[in-house]
Amino acid sequence: MRDYTRAVWAIIAKDATVEWRTKTAFLSAMVFAILVLSILFFARDPTAVSALDIAPGALWVTFTFAAMVGLNRAFLLERENNAMEGLLLTPVPRTAIFVGKMGGNLLFVALVELVSVPLFVLFYNVSLTERLPELMLVTAMATLAFVSVGTLLSAMVVRTRFAELMLPVLLLPFLIPPVVGAVQVTARILAGRPLSEMMGWLKLLAAFDIAFVVLSVLLFEATLDE
Amino acid sequence: MTPDNGGYMVAAYIVVAVVTVAYAVSLVWRVRKLK
Amino acid sequence: MSRRDKALRLARTGQIVTGVALLALAGIYVRALVFTPVERLQGPAQKIFYIHVPTAVIALMAFAVCGVLSIVYLGLRDQRLDRSAAASAEVGVAFSVAMLISGPLWGKPVWGTWWAWDARLTSTLFIFLLFVGYLIMRDSVVDPDQRARFSAVIGVMGLVLVPFIHVTVYLFRTLHPDPVLIKPSAPSMPGVMLVTLLSSFGVFMLLYIGFVLQRYALANLQELREEEMLRDS
Repeated sequence: MRDYTRAVWAIIAKDATVEWRTKTAFLSAMVFAILVLSILFFARDPTAVSALDIAPGALWVTFTFAAMVGLNRAFLLERENNAMEGLLLTPVPRTAIFVGKMGGNLLFVALVELVSVPLFVLFYNVSLTERLPELMLVTAMATLAFVSVGTLLSAMVVRTRFAELMLPVLLLPFLIPPVVGAVQVTARILAGRPLSEMMGWLKLLAAFDIAFVVLSVLLFEATLDE
Repeated sequence: MTPDNGGYMVAAYIVVAVVTVAYAVSLVWRVRKLK
Repeated sequence: MSRRDKALRLARTGQIVTGVALLALAGIYVRALVFTPVERLQGPAQKIFYIHVPTAVIALMAFAVCGVLSIVYLGLRDQRLDRSAAASAEVGVAFSVAMLISGPLWGKPVWGTWWAWDARLTSTLFIFLLFVGYLIMRDSVVDPDQRARFSAVIGVMGLVLVPFIHVTVYLFRTLHPDPVLIKPSAPSMPGVMLVTLLSSFGVFMLLYIGFVLQRYALANLQELREEEMLRDS
């Protein structure tokens, strides 16, 4: 168990170091975030649609786009110099490679989300302070949902011809339950509703997380050649 | 009393027939290409 | 008999079954359009029901079959399971196209809206998109073993996804009830209409079988062609 955790951390650390050196993916994701938040803010009739109405959707579109940027980059790293083979030759268990990759992606998306939220509060003039823990909870659950599936899909898609196009196409159906759930919960949180009113959605998110994290870890082996 | 929406019915029946027959033809044609 | 001959025989069988099914479909058309009474409240557009519902159910069934075959493939790693799964997926996509076009054509006159985000339509739409992606991906992977493994992963995940989309739409719906005008009633359908629906269902099922047989045979022929090209190179 010890070795497993160490292997996972090693992979996360490796990816984080590589990303830290160039920061390109992170910067692209942040630019996306600012663009999306601004465009959605302006793309409405301010007298008819309040900022609060579109705020949850804007936030989650931002988070999802950021995740896509991060996901694309994750296995691309291994593609160069056939690094994946090197990784597979180590005594690291296969599932640890996947969990490590997923962990790295989660870290990336979490960082983007962390930086996006102040921007969001700024642009949309929402007050979050009391509800922050709840928002963090739903964000964590939904992010885990699409990062787990996204990591698995990117492991496959990176070896196909139109990787950047294929990932969103394949990922989209899997985004529906978590993102719809997240937006519904976020909207209610921003409207000041108590958590007890959103139990259905939260249970959906939890069930999705359990089902798809387990499934992704189990199916990763099948994406490897040999 | 009964609404006059026969146009939709005709359109739908035609579309389903076209899609079905087109797919059937595509299968025959693709097999023929590999003969 | 060589593998090639066997494949061609299978294709021929599929073609015959499809031919019979298409003739039967023409019969269903006549029965539905001419010999089944018009529903008083919804008008003639209600008859779209007789072709929309079977295509919808069979499309979802085709994708479920693909999902199950994918699971079995991951266990047994037999290429034939992959080819059958892919055959079912492609046929499912074809039926989905028919369903997704006939649906709005029925929805507009009867519900007043081209698209209603109800559980079944929404699930089929997203599963359809997933399997279109599945087919595109198959096209871009050259190695048959890799293609089979990748497809199986998507097939299995798609299967698990369906109930989640259903629940998502259900939760959305119960908290945002739609001003739905008329809901077509299935259980209290007069005998004549029920017979039309059930026979239509049977015919589309036969069509599914004919299509899948042909598509599977085609996959075998494609595999043979790939082997030949590999040998000659």
